[in-house]
Amino acid sequence: MAHLSDGSLRRIYDDPDAKTGADALHLENCVACQARLKAVSEDARSVASLLAVPDVKVDVARAFSQVTSAPAAQPKFGIRLPLVRSTSRALVLAFAAALAMLALVVTAVAQGGFSSTPTTVKLVPVTVADMQALYQLSDYGTIKWTTKPDLQLVPSADQVTSTVSPPNVGYVPSNVSKNVTYGTMSKAVATFTFSKDKAEAAATKHGKTLPPMPKGMDGATLTVTLGPAVAEIYGNLQQPASGSDITQAALPQLVIVKSLVPTVSSPQVGAAEFERYLLQQPGISPSLADAIRALGSSGTTLPILVPVQFSSHESTTVKGNAAVALGDNTGLGSGVVWISGKYVYVVAGTIKKDEAKTIANNLS
Amino acid sequence: MTVARTNDDAFEALFTAEYARVVSIANRVLADSHEAEDVAQEVFIEFHRLHSASADYAPAWLHRAAAHSALNRLRGAKRRQRRELSQAAGEGDQTLDPQKQLELNEDRRNVREALGRMAPKPAAVLVLRASGLSYAEVARSLGVGIGQVGTLLRRAEETLRKEVTRGTSI
Repeated sequence: MAHLSDGSLRRIYDDPDAKTGADALHLENCVACQARLKAVSEDARSVASLLAVPDVKVDVARAFSQVTSAPAAQPKFGIRLPLVRSTSRALVLAFAAALAMLALVVTAVAQGGFSSTPTTVKLVPVTVADMQALYQLSDYGTIKWTTKPDLQLVPSADQVTSTVSPPNVGYVPSNVSKNVTYGTMSKAVATFTFSKDKAEAAATKHGKTLPPMPKGMDGATLTVTLGPAVAEIYGNLQQPASGSDITQAALPQLVIVKSLVPTVSSPQVGAAEFERYLLQQPGISPSLADAIRALGSSGTTLPILVPVQFSSHESTTVKGNAAVALGDNTGLGSGVVWISGKYVYVVAGTIKKDEAKTIANNLS
Repeated sequence: MTVARTNDDAFEALFTAEYARVVSIANRVLADSHEAEDVAQEVFIEFHRLHSASADYAPAWLHRAAAHSALNRLRGAKRRQRRELSQAAGEGDQTLDPQKQLELNEDRRNVREALGRMAPKPAAVLVLRASGLSYAEVARSLGVGIGQVGTLLRRAEETLRKEVTRGTSI
């Protein structure tokens, strides 16, 4: 019989009863393995000692009270999206792309293309503080839905009424549920109206003076168009009846989203002026400013903001299209985002990054 | 409403069952009970925001998230290393004499720096196992086969020892 592996010896140190009869017999008669077990055991004890920490006494009731009374996440851009109500769980991921786009257009405005349709994606690592700074844009104006998104869950592809057809999925990891639910989001339009008064108040709050606004900026509108979009949701959803409240569904393991790429338009404000103005705002960190400038002014790149402190990320390709992959291979969560033609695609879920890439490359 | 109440009840049960262990995992990384509770509460809030509390993967998700969140915090926050000495002194073995306490604090700092230099998965396997998770629980948390845990653990221990040695010899 071959010698026992290091892994087996390590397990035997922790749980002597875990070894098989053959392993036990070998160990009893093999001086070499006995010596290795001794070394493995000493290493294990040594590391256990290194990692020793004082016990923590926790007050579970107090902690639970703190957690349940924690304020809800701030609504992005001053508007409460219908998808992110506290009870909404199902389509938070399913329409992550569409929601993310709303955040991303804020950076897109710095691309210089105010009547643009992105054709590719680009990675923009940012800190959480940078992202929070972006969310504060509601301090500089008012955002409202001109057309609210209508969200529906249906149990089969046949019942998808969206003008966007769901993609064909050629590969699904074996550990992902084969239960598929389809979600649709209608076209939605949000408008951001700049306000000089609000912007001045925001600057004062930061202890700074608002840079002079370009002519026409006060009251100028920025219109963002999202969707329509369709999502394929893999997981054992607490599936409601067709057309019922989507907020009662549970978390999916995997979502595949296909959406018309978002567009941004602003008839009143020149692109270069707006970029310069945005970069001058209080709260925009130097790193984000650099990232915005790095995007160039083609108006055809959709920046994918990645929180550098929480997620590994990389630029990659999906069927020859520039893509951004997020997450890692632990399976904790990962995703891939890319644009092909007039659609933006997202593959995301509690899967490994390599799996997300494989799924992406097998869509048709 | 019935669904919501049921889910809230399930979350409370999950919290009660797992909070101490999630804190323990974070504390194993950070050696700072207050920061460990911060991490644990963030992890639970994130879980509750996105997941069903009755999901069968809930404990494994929480354990893994606690390890990774704490490791992220460890890597991202140099301030921790500065705080650690004073923090650990407050929580340490009060029977140790000051010189031994200083040495213990220095050892803890070196170990945390070494953990922070390790790849996420080996660091997590060490932390989870040292926090008392069984081989089966570690396997579920990391999404690996139970037969791989011993090997991962052994390699991670070797790596940690090398990193600690490297850190103290610089």
